[in-house]
Parts: sequence; C-alpha cells; structure tokens
Amino acid sequence: MTIRDKHADAVVVGSGAGGGVVAKELSEAGLKVVLLERGGWAHYAAHGDDELTAQRSFPLEAFFGPDNERYRRVAVDRQGNERVVLPNDWAYQNNAACVGSGTVSYGAMAWRFMREDFTMRSTYGDIAGSTLADWPISYDELEPHYEKAEWEIGVAGDDDQNPFAPPRKKPHPMPPFPHTEESKVLEKAAKTLGYHPFPIPMLRNSVPYDNRPACVHVRNCVGFACPVDAKNGTQNTVIPKAIATGNCELRIHAQVTHVLMNDSGKATGVRYIDKEDQEHIQSADIIVLSASATETPRLLLNSRNRLHPHGIGNRYDWVGRNLQGHAYCGADGLFGEELFNRDGPGATIAIADFVHNNPGITGGAVLCNEFIKLPYAYSSGFRPPGSKSWGRAHKEFQKRNYMRNVSIRGPVQEVPNFESRVEVSDSVRDYWEMPVARISGFKLDEDIKTARFIADKAQKWLEAAGATEVWQSIPGTGVSGSQHQSGTCRMGDDPQTSVTDRYGRVHDVDNLFIADGSLHVTNGGFNPVLTIMALGYRVSEYIVKEWQAGNRF
Amino acid sequence: MDNRAEGMERFSRRQFLKVSAIWAGGTWVIGMPALQGKSFTVLSEQEAVIMDALADTIIPPDEEYVGGREAMVTRFLDQQLGRYGYLQREKERYHTCLPALNRSSLNRFGELFTELDEEARTAHLTEIEAGLHDSGALENGWGEYSPSAFFRLVRDHCMMGFYGSPQHGGNKHFVSFRMLGLT
Ligand SMILES: Cc1cc2nc3c(=O)[nH]c(=O)nc-3n(C[C@H](O)[C@H](O)[C@H](O)COP(=O)(O)OP(=O)(O)OC[C@H]3O[C@@H](n4cnc5c(N)ncnc54)[C@H](O)[C@@H]3O)c2cc1C
Repeated sequence: MTIRDKHADAVVVGSGAGGGVVAKELSEAGLKVVLLERGGWAHYAAHGDDELTAQRSFPLEAFFGPDNERYRRVAVDRQGNERVVLPNDWAYQNNAACVGSGTVSYGAMAWRFMREDFTMRSTYGDIAGSTLADWPISYDELEPHYEKAEWEIGVAGDDDQNPFAPPRKKPHPMPPFPHTEESKVLEKAAKTLGYHPFPIPMLRNSVPYDNRPACVHVRNCVGFACPVDAKNGTQNTVIPKAIATGNCELRIHAQVTHVLMNDSGKATGVRYIDKEDQEHIQSADIIVLSASATETPRLLLNSRNRLHPHGIGNRYDWVGRNLQGHAYCGADGLFGEELFNRDGPGATIAIADFVHNNPGITGGAVLCNEFIKLPYAYSSGFRPPGSKSWGRAHKEFQKRNYMRNVSIRGPVQEVPNFESRVEVSDSVRDYWEMPVARISGFKLDEDIKTARFIADKAQKWLEAAGATEVWQSIPGTGVSGSQHQSGTCRMGDDPQTSVTDRYGRVHDVDNLFIADGSLHVTNGGFNPVLTIMALGYRVSEYIVKEWQAGNRF
Repeated sequence: MDNRAEGMERFSRRQFLKVSAIWAGGTWVIGMPALQGKSFTVLSEQEAVIMDALADTIIPPDEEYVGGREAMVTRFLDQQLGRYGYLQREKERYHTCLPALNRSSLNRFGELFTELDEEARTAHLTEIEAGLHDSGALENGWGEYSPSAFFRLVRDHCMMGFYGSPQHGGNKHFVSFRMLGLT
C-alpha cells in the first residue's frame, strides 16, 4: 500500500550543498518544506579516522555513502565496454550520500568563480567538439548569493591578497588560515617567480563562528567528518536552521524514485521508498531537485510520462549531457629537507595567476598545495613515473620521502562536450528496481593541452621552491565527474540548448526546479561547492519572491 | 580442538622456529610469528602461509620496521574476506589464486613460492605482474582469474593492510604510521 504523506508547499530532493540551502531559504520564508535524503546522518563519532572507509579514496567502502549493497552504476569506457561498478569504485564517480552529502567530509575550499568562468564561450570562442556556452547569468548577478553563502555557512579567507579575485562587496567573515612551514616555502618561491600567492578560502572556522569552535588542525580532515565540528557544511549550518524554523521536516533514508506529473504538465510531487521498503507519495506545489549532477538527471530520465516520453525536461535531449568534473593536474616534488605539514589539513596556499588569460590556452586552473597525503593513498600515488609500486625499493621510497614530498594541484576547467553524459541503463537496476545511471564520455584534447600548461606552471613553482626532483601529473582522457560532477542540466535562455531557465526552473514544467551542480554551464577553474551553494540561494530567492507575490505555480 | 585449530598449533610451532629470532636495531629479539594463537576464519592454514609470503615480498621486513607478514596483513585480509568484511566478494578469487600462485614458481624455480627466498619471490612476482603467466592460466589452476590482475589486487590489499587503520586487523602496533613519522 502506498502512503500518501501530508501535502507540502515544497519538497526538496537531496540534502547536499544545493538542497540544504534551498530547504533553509524556503522554510525561513514560511513555506512548509519536506527535505528528502536517501542517506542518514554521518557523525565523526561513528567513523573516526579510518582512511580505508573515508570519502577521499574509500578503498573498502564509502562511509559517507552510498553503500555497496544497494547502489550500482554502469561505467562505459572509451572503447564502449560496459562495467557494473560499486560506489567505492572510482568509475562510479561518487560524491556522497548523507545529510550534507560531500559537505560533511569535504576539503572545504570555498571558491568564487571568476568573471570569465561565466563567459567561457565569448572569452575563448568555439572549441571544436565542444558545447561550450556562456552562462545565462553573470558573476555580478551571483555575487550577492556568494556573499550570503560565505556569511551563513562560514568562510575564512582574505581576497585582498589575491589580485585576480572577482569584485566583492563584503570581506570574508573570518580571517584566513595561517601558512604552514611548507606553504611558507612555497609562498616565497611564488613571489620570486612574480606569482601572487594568497591563503585558500575555506569553509572552516579560523576563529569560533556561529556557536561552533575554531579548527584544531587534525591531519584527517578532507575525507572525514570534523571531530570538533569546525568544518562548515550544510549539515551543521543551514539544515539545522531550516529544521529550527518549524517549517522543515527532514526525512532520512528516503530514496526518491520518480518525479510525478499530471496531465496538464505540472509536477505534483515525488514517489519515494523509506527505510522499511515502504512506498510513499509526497505531494507538493513546488518540487526542487538537488540530488547531484548524476542523480538529478537520472531522476528526470527515469520519470517518463505521456507528455515527456524521453524523460522530464528532455524534449531536446539535453538532460544528462555535458557531464564535467575537472581535469586535475599538477606536479610533485621531493625536497632535501622535511617540509611535512603537521598542521592539518595542509592545503593553505594558492595562486590564481593562471585561471584565465593564458596565451593560446582555453581556461586554466587555480593552483593549490595538496592536502596532507594519507598513508594508504601515499602507498600508490605521489611518486616519479616508473617507480616501483611494491617490494624493498617501494618501502625505502616511503620511508625516505613521505616527509619530503610536496604536491601542487589544479582543477583545470573542462570544456563541456555533448557525449560525456549520464543516461539510465536499460539492463541494470538498483535495490529499488530503478534503472541505474550509466556514465560515458571523455575529455577533449583541449583539456589535456590546458592541463599540460598548468602542470608546467606547478613544476616551475616547485623547482623555484627548491625541490630536487620534480615530475608532473597529467590526467587521462576518461570522463570526469565524481566529487566535482556538474553540468548535466545546464541553465540557459534557449530551451532548445539547455534544461532549465536562468532561475533553475525546468523549461517545460513551471513548478519544477533544480538546485545543484547540474545547473553549471561550465565548472570554473576552481572547486565548485561555493558556486552550488550560491545557486541554491539564487533559485530560492526566485521561488520565494514568486510565492510571496501569490504565485502557486 | 577441531582439526583446523590443531593445524594452526602445529603451524605455529614450526613457524616459530623459523622466524622467532630477528635482528632488530642492534639486538636479537624474540619475534612472534604472525599467526601465533590466531585462527583464521576464511583462509586455510596453507593459504595463510602463502599470503604471509606474499605480504612479506610486497612489503619486506627490514632492520627498522617489520614487513607485511608481521604487520598482520594476512589477518587484515582474512577479516575482510569474512562474513563481516568489506571484501567478501573476493573470497573465491583468493581460494583459487593463492594455491595456484604457490605452484606457479615450480616450473622456473623447482620450488613452491613459499619455499623461495625473497629475491626469488620478487623475481617471480615481477613475472606475474608483467602478465607472463596470463596465458594458460586456466590449465595452471587459476580458474577464470588472471594472474596479473590477481597480483594487482593482492598488492593493493597488502597496502591497505599495512598502511590502513589497525581497526581492520593489519598495521600492527601502527608500524606504518611510525615508519612514515606520523606518530
Ligand atoms: C572528500 C571530498 C572533498 C571535497 N572537497 C571539496 C572542496 O574542497 N571544495 C569544493 O568546492 N568541493 C569539494 N567537494 C565537492 C562538493 O562536496 C560537491 O561539489 C557538492 O557536495 C555537490 O553539491 P550538489 O548539491 O550538487 O550535490 P550533493 O552535495 O552531492 O547533494 C546531493 C544529495 O542528494 C541525495 N540524493 C541523491 N539522489 C537521491 C534520491 N534519489 N533520493 C533522495 N536523495 C538523493 C544525496 O544522497 C546527496 O545527499 C568535495 C567532496 C568530497 C566527497
């Protein structure tokens, strides 16, 4: 028997970066909100410091979800071979599944995209094989929402030290984190090269903020929950605030399977299955999908109906297209002395000199020093090409170099392409008998060219800092997604080449909105989360304004 | 005492004679064989010996720090392959591939893998890693599995057991954390 839950003004699917923000904004404005999350709460006490199940590389399982029992995806390689993959397989392209999603365990870098990140097409022109486009909105339109995200969720930083930072009205609410020993060496070197180093803005408390303490600099930060709750995600900021309004009900272990629609083309609610395998229908006037750039298009594609035979919002076949992450690249160096960061999480210094305006290059990336390398991760990566991966020489390398290794990495902005995509599988189903996401695609040569350019800059930086041996890390040509997945329901003014309008409203369906990484037209030369949060504020602002003007959609 | 535990006892004593005295940091210390007093739930006695040999080849002991065997990589693996472990799905692969791997050195060396010294074990695993045993794997007892893929898996599991948190059964006394300078 299907349980019909009490009607809500709005239902939000997914409590991650985008969904958490929307739940708070709508419930504060007085709407009755139901927030549905497939995962549960993920606390430090239940997980601790276990690298093998942490969210960075999860070799055994992803503690912050999803689990290996009920979830599957299909990964397609460049030759077209299909493989069924579990969430802790890299090819699954996992982010997380819990209250707060990736924002519980993230590294918490808090970037605003630059002006050019919103105008990639007019800045760089037509790129062969790419669907590159400008965003329908400018940096200036998103600026107030960035500011709100920084103050409500909490960011420590100082843009005055970054001459490439886009204009802002208010400074960051907390002072920046100090540099570590390693970062001081890098800072000096960057300056001698004429670069402009500055402290990485972080969604982490440098001083007590919003009734939570300052960071205690543990080593196990990125990939883990914070032991003192000094890392700011949606699970310890906007979501508790939403619940405190009395207008928002969070339901965990609620797996949404369909968006429901009526014959006149309005969305009526969602179908979900609870922990006891009980089916529910949650009806609502407004439906907001914030299930991530893989799961939001999957939901739309799995919700076929008479008016939308190819999936909701998919009249022109754009749902699931343009999947992007970042073409991560950089360089690693070995130093004569031990520069190891005992102060976690380690990444503190960045340069934005090469995000744009690189002659002959499309886009670029911010460059940062890497977070502390965890022991298991260090056993496989971070060594010169051709190094022994086991045996006596491997162990000697570990002993000799762990403390002397410094890495620089940059998230190269990918130019989107139509063939990198999320579809739904026609043969593989999950525990709830729903077709799973099928992920296929590739990076364009243009991305690899940019990555080589950026890796060269990273190498020069390490050499100037005194590294005795330096080597580059260049990404492969496979599709990316994972933690930085985005782009699969891009916003735009033309319904024939985008999925939502400039407010995140699905073109065909007046009361169906998207607020997550899917909206990104391009993914910036930076980590994406602050932009996703800012979009959450923007989409909410629009909904609230309409609602208060009497629009019941 | 069931047969399995009895076997373990015998094994322990034999193993003890072989490895009990270790030269460490300038003094002779009496070491404990990895399996002493520990009965495994998934791996048989013989499989555990093979796994120990693999772990000590992939992460060899040296004068300062123990290798994969004494860091209890085999215990890590046994735990993960078991009912409450994360790697249950690899159980059959290990049951098939460990004995096949042990025999695979007979041709070239005339001895089982577990009987070889470290140099020979290293040379042999280098061959397997390079895929030199992949053709004819079925006839040689590897079942449906590829020897080189199995080696990559074992290498990865050894790294997990040695470098991961001790809560999963390996990294005894935080050996790898001490080795990297983390504690
Ligand atoms: C280890 C790690 C480090 C990171 N570091 C950084 C960083 O330093 N800086 C940065 O900018 N970004 C970082 N990220 C990425 C960041 O977390 C993501 O960009 C962000 O969370 C994406 O936001 P989103 O709203 O698009 O999706 P998500 O935050 O993933 O939210 C989607 C939510 O929807 C839920 N959901 C999905 N499908 C359903 C369904 N059918 N029914 C119900 N619920 C569903 C999911 O469980 C999830 O909670 C990191 C991520 C990880 C894991």
